[in-house]
Amino acid sequence: MNKKTPPETLVLGIDTGGTYTDGVLLEYNSHQIIAAHKSLTTKRDFSIGIENVIKEIELKDPSAIQMVSISTTLATNAIAEGKGKRVGLFLIGYDPELINSFDMGKRFATSHYYYIEGGHDLHGQEKAPLDLPNLLEITKANKNNVDAIAVSSYFSPRNPEHEIRAQNAITSICDLPIVLGHQLSTSLGSIERATTAALNASLLAVLQDFIIAVRRAMENRGINAPLMVVRGDGTLMNAEFAAQSPVETIHSGPAASAIGGRFLSGEDQALVLDVGGTTTDLALIKDGKVTISETGASVAGYQTAVKAANLFSIGLGGDSHITLGRGNELCIGPERVVPLSYLSHLHENVGERLKALSKRGWPAPYPRELEYWFLQREVSDLHAFSAREQQVIEILKSGPKPATEVLKSLGLLDPSQIDLNTLWREEITGKSGFTPTDILHVEGKHSPWNEKASQSALTIFSHYLNWGEDEFRRIFWELVAEKISKAVMYFLTEKEIPDKNEPIHALANWFLENTLLPQHDQLETQIKLKIPLIGIGAPARELLERTASIFNTELILPDNYQVANAAGAVAGSVMVTEEILIYPHLSSGDVDVIGYFLQARDERSETEELEDALNEAKKLAGDNALSAALRSGADNPQVDIEVIQDGMDSYRIKARAVGKPRLEG
Amino acid sequence: MKMNKVDTEKVYQLLWEKITSLELAPGEILDIAALANEMGFSQTSIREALSMLVHDRLVDAPPRGLYVASLKFTDLEKISTIRLNLETLAAQQAVRNASKDDLVILSTLCEEVAGDTRELFELDQRFHQAIARATHNSYLADILDHFYGLSKRLWFLALPYLDFLPSAVKSHINLVSAIQEENEPLAMEIMQNHIEEFYQKIQEIIKEKNLISE
Repeated sequence: MNKKTPPETLVLGIDTGGTYTDGVLLEYNSHQIIAAHKSLTTKRDFSIGIENVIKEIELKDPSAIQMVSISTTLATNAIAEGKGKRVGLFLIGYDPELINSFDMGKRFATSHYYYIEGGHDLHGQEKAPLDLPNLLEITKANKNNVDAIAVSSYFSPRNPEHEIRAQNAITSICDLPIVLGHQLSTSLGSIERATTAALNASLLAVLQDFIIAVRRAMENRGINAPLMVVRGDGTLMNAEFAAQSPVETIHSGPAASAIGGRFLSGEDQALVLDVGGTTTDLALIKDGKVTISETGASVAGYQTAVKAANLFSIGLGGDSHITLGRGNELCIGPERVVPLSYLSHLHENVGERLKALSKRGWPAPYPRELEYWFLQREVSDLHAFSAREQQVIEILKSGPKPATEVLKSLGLLDPSQIDLNTLWREEITGKSGFTPTDILHVEGKHSPWNEKASQSALTIFSHYLNWGEDEFRRIFWELVAEKISKAVMYFLTEKEIPDKNEPIHALANWFLENTLLPQHDQLETQIKLKIPLIGIGAPARELLERTASIFNTELILPDNYQVANAAGAVAGSVMVTEEILIYPHLSSGDVDVIGYFLQARDERSETEELEDALNEAKKLAGDNALSAALRSGADNPQVDIEVIQDGMDSYRIKARAVGKPRLEG
Repeated sequence: MKMNKVDTEKVYQLLWEKITSLELAPGEILDIAALANEMGFSQTSIREALSMLVHDRLVDAPPRGLYVASLKFTDLEKISTIRLNLETLAAQQAVRNASKDDLVILSTLCEEVAGDTRELFELDQRFHQAIARATHNSYLADILDHFYGLSKRLWFLALPYLDFLPSAVKSHINLVSAIQEENEPLAMEIMQNHIEEFYQKIQEIIKEKNLISE
């Protein structure tokens, strides 16, 4: 290399999506993508897919890499599939009757929750003394039934004393990891804080194991660089911080995609659509930043207090299963399958069988016969599975089979008659079917695999419906555009899309339908999106073209848009926020203000004058944020401080330290 | 606030446990590559954890190679002398500084029932750690923690021949009431006898069974 060229700063970004794990090697200053690699996401253990990317991506000099950053759906997935650890949750000073009467117990994300006397009030005064003996009795009785403990005390952001005392006591009698509510959220919503603490506790070990596996994979490839993890708002935190607050990684995948779209396109105002294999995710870029959800992130139905990007996701992607509904209408997704073009690329006989089937005149084959099951990996311990599951494994050992054939040899008619969930979840068996990717193969727009198999499948499907193949494709693309356009409308307006059959919405419906697909002879309706669409992900061009034209806007596909999600994993800034609460110290009887409390995480102090309190809080919050950002690997972090009034005489001082990741070129 | 790497911290805990419970025997060679493979961690984290254990005096680092620290009879005498004094000091400081919460914690620990000798030892260790915390002197608590690690190996050596510990539970209960009554001399005396008895017993067994060299 010429000595005069500026030194390269190489960074490795990795994004684990629902279907693929993408990696990009990027020159940080020029935004140049030097190498990219795609590997299948391994849901049973995400680190396997990441290890594959780290092992396979083309690297000339692994030791030159300055940073590795990962966005991961690990936390989201673990919560959705109940793979988190068992958590005991202590609710200090919560009102059991109130929670029962509103049936809020379900919202805590654990069934092991216990009420303890104690807690504080809005003014940080002790509401009731902490019942420590009871707390210890319960801990003693349950310490072997849970893997971690979460503690949330009433109004703990105003005064965390009871949470801290509970922690001291619990750690004295057992070694379980503990999470305190006030460390994760300064918002006063007590239910969300408890849920966030419980979810965080359940994910501690999950994220720890993940980081250990990634560091080992990096070392095996000779990469010695800081490891960062993307937060749900797209900013970065170092791995150690992530291991303590795994809930902050919720939604980090889609957030990284949005940031990557902005990073590669340079657009400051845009709607980013990330079309993956399983879903299409929407995020809004405003003034160069991803918009953040006002309410905390919600995941698997649990409302948390975690700040995350404002996102909307629909179950439509390149590998969505195309099937027939009950009324023989065309359905796409939400299930994700392996495209038939890919399965027959691996197994030639599948293509041959599909071809033969497409030539069968009578009885016309059912689209159901296009679903294939196959063995995805070796099974080491057959005994871990039920007799039925073992039978299925045995049948599939000789190669992929149509689902109908597997069921028939088991003497069954319908897949609902057997429970094979373990086989699917453990990725022992896989499902293949007709997908948008197959239609792209037929159309020659993206055809790396067996397009003949895709063609046979299309012939079978259209023949059954008595449609021409062109007609099938036209209806299919209209349906894709309708689904994505409705998602755009809903995301931007937050208005429910009316049900087609509700007469009360007849006009609204007509407007919508006529805009998506002009039908009226005299009236034309149009809608205009004032910002461009940025498309990300391999099938983005084809799946979004029509939506862009419906919204009369431009579809921007930045260079390397197929892997922008992984680029987004390194594009974010390192950010640390510190919040200090100020609220009045009231005299007995709550009459006079006799001073002001400053509550900074675990530290608490008091001043007489509000002005002094505000000045001290600003300085403290700023200093804390700055030093934490430096520790997290931020380069020259800039601090901005915001004072927010938070009720009568109460203030929230928020310091945010933001800097690019520190990299040595 | 110093934050260790997640993996280093985890390896440290695992290796600490293996060494103090004699699963890794005194004098055994520590091969970084082999440990990394066996335990599923990066070599860097193993190396970093071992250097922390060198600091704890649980690993020896002669000019070449790394070994689990050897155990000598003279070590037993040295360790017991220091611990005896520090624990007595801790008892005194606990009487002066224990909070109400500390007393609740100590009483709870006294009520715990152990299933076997090993559990009983762990409970004993927790009790001593709680006393150390009740001093509200983190320097003292840190030094004591260091000596638990060193003592634990001696105890594990004698474990197969031990049956005396249940009597220790009685002295725990007496100690807690002395702290409750703010009886400083009594608390110190109970602690002193408790520790002395422990080391005497261990010393006897080790000598009698010839478990380590002089």
